[in-house]
Amino acid sequence: MTPLRLLLAAALAAPLLALAAPAAVVTTPQVRAELVAHAPEGIAAGRPLWLGLKIDHQRHWHTYWKNPGDSGLPTTLTWTLPAGVSAGEIEWPTPSKLPIGPLMNYGYEGTLLLPVAVTVAPGFQAETLNVKLRAEWLVCKDVCIPEEGEFSIDVPAQAATAGHAELFAAARAALPQPLPDAQATAAVEDGALMVRVTGLPADWQGRDLTFFPETPGVIANAAQPQARWQGGEWTARVPLDAQRSDSPTAMPVVLAAAGQSAGRLVQLVVTTPWPAVAARPAALPVLAEAGSAAPLEPAAPPIGLALALAFALVGGVLLNLMPCVFPVLSLKVLGFAAHGGERRTLVAGGLAYTAGVVLSFVALAALLLALRAGGEQLGWGFQLQSPAVVATLAALFTLIGLNLAGVFELGSVLPSAVAAARARHPLVDSLLTGVLAVAVASPCTAPFMGASLGLAVTLPAGQALAVFATLGLGMALPYLAAAVSPGLARLLPRPGVWMAHFKTLMAFPMFATVVWLVWVLGQQVGIDGAAALLALLLALAFAAWALGSPTLGPKARGGFGAASLLLMAAALFWAVPTLRQEAAAQVPRTDEAWQPWSADRVAQAQAAGQPVFVDFTAAWCVTCQFNKRTTLSRPEVQAAFAEKQVLLLRADWTRRDAAISAELTRLGRTGVPVYALYSPGAAGPRLLSEILSFDEVRGALASLPSP
Amino acid sequence: MKSLLFAAALALTAGPALAAATVGQAAPNFTAVDASGKTVTLADFKGRHVVLEWVNPGCPYVRRHYDSANMQGTQKEATSRGVVWLAVNSTSQDSGDYLAPAAMAQWMQTQKAVATVTLMDADGQVGRAYGARTTPHMYIVNPAGTLVYAGAIDDQPRASLADTPKANNHVKVALAESLAGKAVSTPSTRAYGCSVKYSSM
Repeated sequence: MTPLRLLLAAALAAPLLALAAPAAVVTTPQVRAELVAHAPEGIAAGRPLWLGLKIDHQRHWHTYWKNPGDSGLPTTLTWTLPAGVSAGEIEWPTPSKLPIGPLMNYGYEGTLLLPVAVTVAPGFQAETLNVKLRAEWLVCKDVCIPEEGEFSIDVPAQAATAGHAELFAAARAALPQPLPDAQATAAVEDGALMVRVTGLPADWQGRDLTFFPETPGVIANAAQPQARWQGGEWTARVPLDAQRSDSPTAMPVVLAAAGQSAGRLVQLVVTTPWPAVAARPAALPVLAEAGSAAPLEPAAPPIGLALALAFALVGGVLLNLMPCVFPVLSLKVLGFAAHGGERRTLVAGGLAYTAGVVLSFVALAALLLALRAGGEQLGWGFQLQSPAVVATLAALFTLIGLNLAGVFELGSVLPSAVAAARARHPLVDSLLTGVLAVAVASPCTAPFMGASLGLAVTLPAGQALAVFATLGLGMALPYLAAAVSPGLARLLPRPGVWMAHFKTLMAFPMFATVVWLVWVLGQQVGIDGAAALLALLLALAFAAWALGSPTLGPKARGGFGAASLLLMAAALFWAVPTLRQEAAAQVPRTDEAWQPWSADRVAQAQAAGQPVFVDFTAAWCVTCQFNKRTTLSRPEVQAAFAEKQVLLLRADWTRRDAAISAELTRLGRTGVPVYALYSPGAAGPRLLSEILSFDEVRGALASLPSP
Repeated sequence: MKSLLFAAALALTAGPALAAATVGQAAPNFTAVDASGKTVTLADFKGRHVVLEWVNPGCPYVRRHYDSANMQGTQKEATSRGVVWLAVNSTSQDSGDYLAPAAMAQWMQTQKAVATVTLMDADGQVGRAYGARTTPHMYIVNPAGTLVYAGAIDDQPRASLADTPKANNHVKVALAESLAGKAVSTPSTRAYGCSVKYSSM
């Protein structure tokens, strides 16, 4: 066999070896990897136990550190251990610089041990500890080969395991030691980090130090830092990567002195704001990467799940007072007073209603989560971004209002079979009432709770659904309480003629909701669309009266009914295309002070050193409108903005807009309102609270430098 | 005197460094020869979006993206929207991975790649001008000639072959945003893959 053939055979055999039954050792043509353990006192709670992957590299081959540098990937270890036994993170030994042409990597050659500390819970009983490990490593010389291996060993619990004691001791000695007393700061200056470190070991003074950042994608790895010692202070100019992909405010850095195996670990604090990567604020790409230390300070700290659930419950109860829900439910509850006595039926009905409400909320939230997972840029309130949904809701509210006002009765419209079915299946009826309650509540949840529910959507799916289910539970609670407790029902006034008046009275909040929905639709598709919707509602009202009025005779009903259906058809024919068209009124209505938002506008102003205030808003968002009226449009606020020469931008989310949705996501929000203030030179925007006040805006503006 | 010596040592050890194409600034212009020997200049494509893909058929990461048809799919989506796709091979002639122009063209053809042009950059000039480190390493230049994206093809350095198309493809996202006239939301990511096999001279 020629050497080449041998190599080829070995290369072919390597994957087979790795696939074979797991053992302690996996050998490839490039490395020999072995799972090793160190338990000098046996295995029990509180005794030292270490596991590790030992990698012997063939000459000139290397694997990588946690920050691999310009290319490469760090080795990963995935452990399978019995219950009660858990492995920590890899304790990476101090790496070496590995230059490849103009590139620089950080990694290891020769013999390497990647150790992890293992903790054992009290009560560990087994005679042996079975350890399974799946490891993946990228091994490179001038070519790179991704490799992986499955390992398994049994470590005796009662006897000492110390065959690799020296190896583990060497790895411990090579572990970068934290220097808690060291002061390490860096300022961003002219494409480089100006690093100052004090508190380094005294015997390091005057020696060459190597700079290994743990955060990848920040510095130009191949560039040589210009460093010098001034007394006990080490300063270095570390050039930044022109294609920097991260902008950390704190960066762990390993410093190593020439000729010493162990480096020192310091926390480098970046004291100046990062300049923009490309033409946008530097903080934003960082935010997009989950989990990185965001320099943004949100107006309120993220709330815990328990608190979120409590808020959802209270919010749900309050929903019953909203103008779109109150009329329907108050009448339902009054119904209890009318038929007392049948307790069991009432309780069953209450439970069915609760189920209907909770299921509808969960279904709506699940739909939203599924659409988001599918890549749609949506937030809570998405229902109201579609003109068709707004128009349908307006029609629904008109019908409910007319019904309450006594213009028509359902009994006259519904086929008798349906009416009979409703009577025969009161539980189904209650369930559907719950679904209807959520449908009528939706225009209220979005405007009043859009921002907080928007935050809920960003939780893990299970938690998000729990929040929405709790919201539904809260909403169903008063009804359920009235159904379950006869005492509560007895508190209600006695039935009488006042109930008929009350019913008529309740029609007006319904019509008020319609007025608001027509206004929202007008924002979306313009004045023609609003007129078309009003015409449609008129035709609908006429049809409801003609077909459902209890006072009309059969002949009159036939004639008017036919006419009303024709009118409906005509109205639909005229209205639907108008409602569908993209708003001619899309031209953003700018009062002089506000200009339409775009990421480029923000970046330009930032580059020019001008502060920017962005109002993320939507016509259907009542909180937004409230803030606009009470704060943003006040002359004092406008004057305060003018004084600091703030560029005012408005991002209107009334209709779906992918760019605005993406920007909201980057800011960590999924709904409006959001108020963002960008000061020149700051890393990212400052977010103000969702309910604005003049004082808060003034306070935020005061932090801006004077023009 | 000491600092002068230091500077000289610096110049020697640093060697031909990677220049710095910077996102948000003008993309460096270049002239290179394609696999058929024709001369191509970036400026030829002014007014169109240009994607630069660093490729080396000898690299397992490149093969993963071609074997899963992920790269071809990205190329197809881009070129069907009028985008120019330049595949650049900066592998040096002294590397074991080096392919002669005809062999490179042949490989692209068998892979059913839909790159507009395959550029041979054995001296690494284009690669160094862009700071290309890995294969694949991806760049997007907008019609104004500004570099709007630099980094990885996607966010899954460790994906298996089968999972590759499911990853979040940074190039598709950035290109769609740029084609829609919007700012690129993630303009810079850390590229992953094999190191570019530059000549060490």
